[in-house]
Amino acid sequence: MAALRTASRLAAPTRSFWRPSFAARSYATITENSSYDTSASRPPVSPSKTSTVEEPKPDKDARIKTFHIYRWNPDEPTSKPRMQTYTLDLNKTGPMMLDALIRIKNEVDPTLTFRRSCREGICGSCAMNIDGVNTLACLCRIPTNTAKETRIYPLPHTYVVKDLVPDLTHFYKQYKSIKPFLQRDTPSPDGKENRQSPAERKKLDGLYECILCACCSTSCPSYWWNSDQYLGPAILLQSYRWLADSRDERKAERKEALENSMSLYRCHTILNCSRTCPKGLNPAKAIAEIKKSMSFA
Amino acid sequence: MAAASRTTLLRQTQLFTSSPSRLLSSTTQPLRILRSAPSTSSRLLLLPKWSAVSRAAAFSTTTKKQILPAGPQVISGTVNDPAPVPKPDPLHGSYHWTFERLLSVGLVPLTIAPFAAGSVSPALDAALIFSIIVHSHMGFQSIIIDYIPIHKHPTLRKTFMWLLNLATVVVAIGFYEFETNDVGVAEAVKRIWHAGKNDATIGKTDVSALGHDGKLKNLK
Repeated sequence: MAALRTASRLAAPTRSFWRPSFAARSYATITENSSYDTSASRPPVSPSKTSTVEEPKPDKDARIKTFHIYRWNPDEPTSKPRMQTYTLDLNKTGPMMLDALIRIKNEVDPTLTFRRSCREGICGSCAMNIDGVNTLACLCRIPTNTAKETRIYPLPHTYVVKDLVPDLTHFYKQYKSIKPFLQRDTPSPDGKENRQSPAERKKLDGLYECILCACCSTSCPSYWWNSDQYLGPAILLQSYRWLADSRDERKAERKEALENSMSLYRCHTILNCSRTCPKGLNPAKAIAEIKKSMSFA
Repeated sequence: MAAASRTTLLRQTQLFTSSPSRLLSSTTQPLRILRSAPSTSSRLLLLPKWSAVSRAAAFSTTTKKQILPAGPQVISGTVNDPAPVPKPDPLHGSYHWTFERLLSVGLVPLTIAPFAAGSVSPALDAALIFSIIVHSHMGFQSIIIDYIPIHKHPTLRKTFMWLLNLATVVVAIGFYEFETNDVGVAEAVKRIWHAGKNDATIGKTDVSALGHDGKLKNLK
């Protein structure tokens, strides 16, 4: 680099007739007649002549909250899962649990793994077990009581991929098995869209809002024991969403798919699903409606 | 990619399950596929047997010895295949549920009737007993179905179902004996309820109050 600089200086003298001195490009090079000592062996300035840089003092009003977070790394399969503790100053953290998690990942420990996307309760990615309740981290406020320590686990009774990331493969396969799409055998009367009255549309309120975050299914003891066969509250709510739809014409087939001892009837009305739903929906009511319609129809 | 790695893990776990060192780790490690895969870690094999206790970390699930452990994750088919839909069977589906509910609702008047009416009809008593037996049989069946998964423990499930059938038959015979040779359920409850007032045999032995069969002669 220095050689190039010297060579270019030879080729283009600093001053010429066509380029006056003020237009000449100067280089940040210290010339021989500089008063600075630039030798590599020059002694350092003694500490008495420099100011002391101290560790930043902890904020007096800091609200330090402790978070215990479940950690498990698939790259070390023989090591047991562990709870790792992080402390954050709540004054410098956003109000939600997801803000705390993102801050830990950004500033403290980049290896912490969790799913997140929309940060506003629409995508359902950040479902996890916070202080014993399945909820979305983005919709869960951090309790301001700093004396109480927060514990964050992945969704209960799921196979863990890493840290707070559960494997929801079977959950999605079950969702696919209920055929979550409009099934019609007859074309619409006017050949255009399939119309619905406002009253019929109203029946879908409280059903279509489900974002399939799996909070309810993983809170259901029945789903814990029999998740391979029992569909679980989230999928049954979705199933009812299509059973309640006035435009769907395959209701008999849909009901037939639930007509066995495992798919639907493992629901024992425990109601954990309705209690935990971060969107405030009522999967237990939807399941009860399915049972009623299958029993008295 | 994900599916490929999963099958590898599954295979490793199968190897792991077949190896004898599996027994050692089952006490300290929860049985999760993604956790217990490589069994051939040299560190693990070099450890002496007594150190199994020290390997138990501070984190533990609810129990260390699970009765029916969850086992490795099994994904049938590819991730894009829907979960299999069972064959429709109303006898174990909606008919079963409806019958169960009707029976539960029917038990309420059957329980109240003998005490409200004051008289004990043998037919009513028999109906009550029959309903209770069927009701509890179905309840226990539900418990067995919930807690003994048929795909993982088919023999255990069958065994428990037959044990339940046996128990129900024994209880039914017992109640039949009680109904035909003794006072019957409603009357028994009534007597226990008024035990202090009517039963002369409690606290004092007044033989004169008893009939030839050992029962009270004049019951209020």
